[in-house]
Amino acid sequence: MPRYELALILKVMQRAETAATLRRTVETLMERGAVVRDMENLGERLLPYRINKHDQKHRRGSYFLIDFYAAPNILTGLLDHLHRDVDVVRPTVLKNDKETSKQTCCGPQQ
Amino acid sequence: MYHLQRTQRLFFRVSQFEYANKSAGLTSVASNVQKHHELVKMDNPYKAPVKGCVLCKVTVDFKNTQLLSQFISPYTGRIYGRHITGLCGRKQKEISKAIKKAHSMGFMSVTHKHPQFMRDPNICSIKHLD
Repeated sequence: MPRYELALILKVMQRAETAATLRRTVETLMERGAVVRDMENLGERLLPYRINKHDQKHRRGSYFLIDFYAAPNILTGLLDHLHRDVDVVRPTVLKNDKETSKQTCCGPQQ
Repeated sequence: MYHLQRTQRLFFRVSQFEYANKSAGLTSVASNVQKHHELVKMDNPYKAPVKGCVLCKVTVDFKNTQLLSQFISPYTGRIYGRHITGLCGRKQKEISKAIKKAHSMGFMSVTHKHPQFMRDPNICSIKHLD
């Protein structure tokens, strides 16, 4: 089951460069012992606000979502690496617990 | 004669007590009287069904910005309170957390609502002057 989710916002680039960046990211993940489960492309869209990163003002970005299983001790190193990558605008890693949704809500139970 | 009268009175009192007991339906443990009028145990048939909030069956996700945008102000982007959204405690917290997560991750705007979502149906009980 997916343990972590990396929401990646990349700079708008040509298709080949985007592919190269993604390949680099996944290879970094795998080097650190993570198992990549799924990658989704959420499309290229206008950012909700201007983001300053690597001495550039970004207005548009391409959104990607990477599910992976990993040990928790690699996360700080990974985030550090992603912040240093020039093509990455904003990396965020979150925990992903899909199974813990068994709490009953207030509504009618079936 | 005085003693007779007293015992007679006692007997009278005892019989009155027994009569009162029988008429009220109370019987002793050792009696063989059939009990027809015992209450049948069942749930209240007139109970109103439990009403849940709008998001009871819906999972809240930070990626679903359209859903999250329904609970913010279109002019300032502020999150509406529980008295406006009408959500239960758990869902209100989930929505609030998801909106803040989306803000920090660069998925949703902080100061306004996306113009694409301005035409969405109004869930919250707030009337804007248009």
